[in-house]
Amino acid sequence: MMNRRHFNKVLLGATALSFAACSSMKQSLGEMPESGDRVVVVGGGFGGATAAKYIKRFSPETEVVLVEMNKVYHTCPFGNTVLAGINDISYIRHDYKTLEKKYKIKVVHKKASKVDGKAKKVILEDGTMIPYTKAVVAPGIDFKFEKGYEADSEMYAPHAYKAGPQTTLLRKQLEEMKDGGTFVMVAPQNPFRCPPGPYERISLIADYFKKNKPNSKIVILDQKGKFSKQGLFTEAWENLYGEMIDWRSVEFGGKCEKVDPRNRVVTTDEGDVKADVLNYIPNQKAGQIAFDSGLTKGDWCPVNRMTWESSLVSEVYVIGDASIASAMPKSGFSANSQAKVAALQISRALKGKGPVTPPKLANTCYSLVSEEYGITVAAVYEAFPDKIVKVKGSGGLSPMGSYKDEKIISMRLQEGAFARGWYKNQTQDIFR
Amino acid sequence: MKKIAMAILCAASLTYAADNYDPVKGEMLSLSCASCHGTDGRSVAITPAIAGMEKITLYNKLLDYKYGRTQGTIMQKHAKGFSDAELKQVATYFSKVKR
Repeated sequence: MMNRRHFNKVLLGATALSFAACSSMKQSLGEMPESGDRVVVVGGGFGGATAAKYIKRFSPETEVVLVEMNKVYHTCPFGNTVLAGINDISYIRHDYKTLEKKYKIKVVHKKASKVDGKAKKVILEDGTMIPYTKAVVAPGIDFKFEKGYEADSEMYAPHAYKAGPQTTLLRKQLEEMKDGGTFVMVAPQNPFRCPPGPYERISLIADYFKKNKPNSKIVILDQKGKFSKQGLFTEAWENLYGEMIDWRSVEFGGKCEKVDPRNRVVTTDEGDVKADVLNYIPNQKAGQIAFDSGLTKGDWCPVNRMTWESSLVSEVYVIGDASIASAMPKSGFSANSQAKVAALQISRALKGKGPVTPPKLANTCYSLVSEEYGITVAAVYEAFPDKIVKVKGSGGLSPMGSYKDEKIISMRLQEGAFARGWYKNQTQDIFR
Repeated sequence: MKKIAMAILCAASLTYAADNYDPVKGEMLSLSCASCHGTDGRSVAITPAIAGMEKITLYNKLLDYKYGRTQGTIMQKHAKGFSDAELKQVATYFSKVKR
């Protein structure tokens, strides 16, 4: 049995040990590694986590530090299946343990507050400064709080456009809604994260209502006049959900003048719309750290599209949703593709080599229009310093057609299966 | 005679160049395939694994998609984004990956 004196000794030892571990971690982060270069990646989403993994792959001798405040990451892709009750929240949950253990990336679960491009240091909220040879900033998006929607409004009218607790909250509200209720979505202006995202969400919530609350209605108040894969989505809605979905464009009754999140009322130019469940997706801009680090022009970050190095701060690379990637949509697939190219170019630069020119990138946006059926839009891109262009003849949409046509049904089923295949392989490529 | 010999030599080296595998370019062009087909083509899902596929088989398959001899869901849309020489680089890259 352990007596008190012995226990105190053990406690003291453990405290000293953890203190030593902490201070050595701080010390090693506060100075450049003796081995040479260090790349600090800020943000552990599709772009950042991919960049960290692939920089290690192309340049194993380089120390890679990944700063991400959360210990787990919930993907926005497939978040809509959680809202519809098809998958549990754990389906979209990933962590950084493999990146840490297998790929020897130093993962720091703290909030980064700024990248100081002049001093070449990433500054954490607790004051720690991490010097770098090069930095990668992948902060994703932040929301514009306007029209009565504030930071705390997400408790009443969840955006669920950053996955995690918001996804769980919106799911709970949908489950509690009575049959015959009205689900209202306010869809954002361009540009925003995942152009087909809101419309996949509508489709899967309609699927859930059809099976569980068939008398319910869905109203979309859209802040734009058209949207991604509109023909394919509209066709699916008519074929699968009949009259359930009412899409109102910004010109015809969709324009949101103001919102009352607590009472779930949206005031449009054609009157008030009352919701039983209100999903307000705010207009968007680059993540806050991009603004605080001088990386933005307008709402987003200009970059050299061939290398992803910021046009404003040298040795800092911006990838994913926060960057201005011209023809490429703000998607997880795009961020992953950009991160790999940036990792390759960074690794070459660290070895004193010029960039690979011109790099090619790709994107495929899979969307589910029901639990089983999928549709896509895809493209291949070529990147030049000032622009990214879609390769002529590449890309395109799934074919249109009636859901009574066997060929169309077979295609939709295949793309539904490949959507799940994409998610498995994509997240494996990033986190495992 | 010398000129002819020179021309033959040039033509021969050009053909060689077209077939020559550039590992940096091959890997760069293959990076986006991983999103659907798994890292280095080692799929863990329904999407076909392409790691370690025979070069000529994969090259022909990509050309079939590109020139409309095979209809897939999205593969023709991706294959059309690359020149034949680039598709050969991609096929070579995956042929060198261990399954």
